[in-house]
Amino acid sequence: MTVKELIEKTGWKLSTPSLDTDIPVEGAYCGDLLSWVMGNGEPQQAWITVQVHANVIAVALLREFSCLIVADGANVTPEFAEKAAAEELVVLESDLPVYESAKKLVELGI
Amino acid sequence: MFYDLHMHSCLSPCAEDAMTPNNICNMAFIKGLDLIAVTDHNSTKNLPAVAEVAKAIGLKMLYGAELETSEEVHVLGLFNKLEKALKFQEWIDSKMPNVKNDEDFFGHQWIMNSQDEKIGDEERLLLVSLSATLEETAAAIHEYGGRVILAHVLDRANSVTHQLGFIPMDLAYDGLEVKNEEQRLRVISTNPWITEDSTNWFIDSDAHYLTDISEPDHFLRESVYQKLWGDDV
Repeated sequence: MTVKELIEKTGWKLSTPSLDTDIPVEGAYCGDLLSWVMGNGEPQQAWITVQVHANVIAVALLREFSCLIVADGANVTPEFAEKAAAEELVVLESDLPVYESAKKLVELGI
Repeated sequence: MFYDLHMHSCLSPCAEDAMTPNNICNMAFIKGLDLIAVTDHNSTKNLPAVAEVAKAIGLKMLYGAELETSEEVHVLGLFNKLEKALKFQEWIDSKMPNVKNDEDFFGHQWIMNSQDEKIGDEERLLLVSLSATLEETAAAIHEYGGRVILAHVLDRANSVTHQLGFIPMDLAYDGLEVKNEEQRLRVISTNPWITEDSTNWFIDSDAHYLTDISEPDHFLRESVYQKLWGDDV
C-alpha cells in the first residue's frame, strides 16, 4: 500500500499537501518516546504518535519512515507542518486514538 | 562556590518528609556548600520558608522549580530573586492540570514555614506535565526573568534526550545538567552542535533524601555565575 491509498481509504487529513504521497508503506510503528523510536523504528514504516515536537521530524527522517501519523487529535501546528514539508516528510492527522489508528492500518492489511 | 542547584523539599511528593527547610539548609551548610537551589516539581510554594532559613544561615540561594513540559521533559527554572520565582507560580498555575493528589500513593505535598511547621498541603498533584511545550516553558521562564537548565539530560526518564531523542538545536536554554563528568563528555559527543564552551554545565544531586544532597565536589566559578545572570545579578 502507498501513503496515497492510505489517505484515500482512511480519510485522514494530509498536513503536507505539497508533498508527493506515492510512497510505499511497509508496516507501522507506534511510540512517543523519541529515544525509543530512534532505536527501534524500521524504514518504510508509518509512524503513529501523539508527539509533535520538532525533533519528531528529525527522528522520522533518520529512521526513513514512509510517513508520520499524528493521532488522537494531537495538535499539528502550521510551523510543524511547514518544517515537515520542507524536509519532505509526509504528515497525516488522525482523530482516532493511537490504538484505533493502528487497528485501521491492520484492517487495511498493513 | 560549591553548589547544588537541584533538590526537592517535602513539597514534592516523591521527596522524604525530612526534606524540611531547616534540614535542607543545615545539611547543605554542614556539607560545605555555598550555593543551593530548591526545585520542587511544578511548584515554588516552599521557597519563602527555605529562603528565610538560608538567609539566617548565610547560605546563598537561587529560587527554582522543576517543570515538566507537555513532552514530559524536566526543566529547571532558576530565579535569582524570590519574588520573581513566586510570580512565576502564576504561570505554572495557568498550565497545571487539576488532578487531586492521592497522598497514600504519591506521598505528602507539605507546605512549610521557616520553623519547619506544616502550614498547608498542596492539594493538586504536582507530578504532572504542564500544558506547555518545552519551547513554551523555556520562553516563559525567560519572560519571568529566570534561567533555563535542562535537567538530568541523560536520565532514562523525563530527560530531554529520553523524551525527544536529542537536545533540540534551536532551543533557548542557559545550561545543561548532568550527573557526572563522563555524562558531560557523552552529551558533547552525541550532540555535535554542543561544545564544552557553548553552554553552562551543572552537576547536581536531584536529592529527594537529605543524605543525597551533594558533597562540596562541584565548583561554580564566580565568573560563570556572573555570566549566567548578566546585568541581573
